[in-house]
Amino acid sequence: MNYTFDFQSITFGPLWEGLIVTLELTTAANIIGIVGGFLLALLIMSPVAVVRMPFMLFVEFFRCTPAIVQIVWFFYCVPMLFNVFLGSMTMGILALGFNLMAFNAEAYRAAIQAVPREQIDAGIALGLNPLQRILYIVLPTAFRASIPVLLTNGIVIFQQSALVAIVAVQDLMYQGKTLATETYRPIETFTVVALIYFAVSFPVTQIVGYLERRRQLLMS
Amino acid sequence: MSNTAPLVKMRNLHKSYGPHVQVLKGLDIEMKPGERVVVIGPSGGGKSTLLRVMMGLEKIDSGSVTFAGKPYISSESADTKTVIDTDVRRSIGMVFQHYTLFPHLSVLQNLILAPCKVRGEKKASAMQRGQALLERFGLGAKADAYPAQLSGGQKQRVAIARALMLDPKLMLFDEVTSALDPELVGEVEQVILQLANQNMPMMIVTHDMWFAKNIASRVIFCAGGVVVEDGPPEQVLGSPKEERTRDFIDRVFHIKH
Repeated sequence: MNYTFDFQSITFGPLWEGLIVTLELTTAANIIGIVGGFLLALLIMSPVAVVRMPFMLFVEFFRCTPAIVQIVWFFYCVPMLFNVFLGSMTMGILALGFNLMAFNAEAYRAAIQAVPREQIDAGIALGLNPLQRILYIVLPTAFRASIPVLLTNGIVIFQQSALVAIVAVQDLMYQGKTLATETYRPIETFTVVALIYFAVSFPVTQIVGYLERRRQLLMS
Repeated sequence: MSNTAPLVKMRNLHKSYGPHVQVLKGLDIEMKPGERVVVIGPSGGGKSTLLRVMMGLEKIDSGSVTFAGKPYISSESADTKTVIDTDVRRSIGMVFQHYTLFPHLSVLQNLILAPCKVRGEKKASAMQRGQALLERFGLGAKADAYPAQLSGGQKQRVAIARALMLDPKLMLFDEVTSALDPELVGEVEQVILQLANQNMPMMIVTHDMWFAKNIASRVIFCAGGVVVEDGPPEQVLGSPKEERTRDFIDRVFHIKH
């Protein structure tokens, strides 16, 4: 290999700005995903089929199409179909947020349905009414059980957020592409970009691993 | 109320799971105040279902239950709704085989949840009662521990304390020592015997014949969804009249003929 690496021309200024945008996207999408995903989970568990069906369709749409298609579709079709244009950052947040909502809804649903029947029986035996059983037994248990999955989904969205660069949101990936073009140093630039994504994701995956190990201990 | 008026009166209870599995086939049981009824019998004979019905956890096909003279559970037929009076249900406490403590709450929080939420008791007063109850059961130091940090025997004693926080008029124990390591069975049975000494009416399903003999004021042998034999422990466990009871007792005690 006779390629000489030259990291000197990589300026961190734009990458730093890009990372801030990426973190903003991730945070906003996670707020939508964590709150909206919960409401969505309740809706897809509705015993009324007419209520359940459209929301299940919503979830399956996001789970069964590539995120990049969702982003492009959002960016081009939503303004045309609904006559709204919200700016690329808002559109990016909504596309990523809705995607995360769908995945988190499934995480919540699985966790809620995994609460053992016996726990609910114990609640009945203690005289708690149905709402109290949900509020004080089912949801706290389910929420704790879903935290590792929510964190994993959240970090996946952090990585997926790189896709919004193609619709001109100036995130880390977008700044990386610009820098690569300007410096003629794509290998160095994308190496640095990859390391930045890794540096943020890796600690979170370690936390997830720790939480799962701790949970297994608690459940044993 | 006179001493002879029944505390529990079950009339002609029928219960099935699906069209083919009939678990209770016309069960009649009367229980007087202060009685400690131990229900024994083969698996699938309807013992646990009986307790779960009594706790209002299961629908019934038909029959009725009255508690302390008040109508509690009733259903006309398999197609009608089972009517359960939730106020009456609140005077009954139950402890399950698998502890069923709430894992996200500490021991003391497990104890005070229902008193505070169901009866609107002040937190300070519930905590005081809870702590006192834990001290009585030798668990005073465990108030702030979480269920995962307790042994099976400790969990089960906490579960008993939790049920007692609501001052039940009747306690149901569904195989509460079956999931325990043998060396932990004693500490749980001691707590139940302690309650028995205070004349707490109870209905107990157990496979532990030593415990049955020690705690029962009356033993019911239940098989095939009906009461086969019903009498004082010396009779049902010692010299049963019915052949099915005798077979069961012999098998439990591993007596070979």
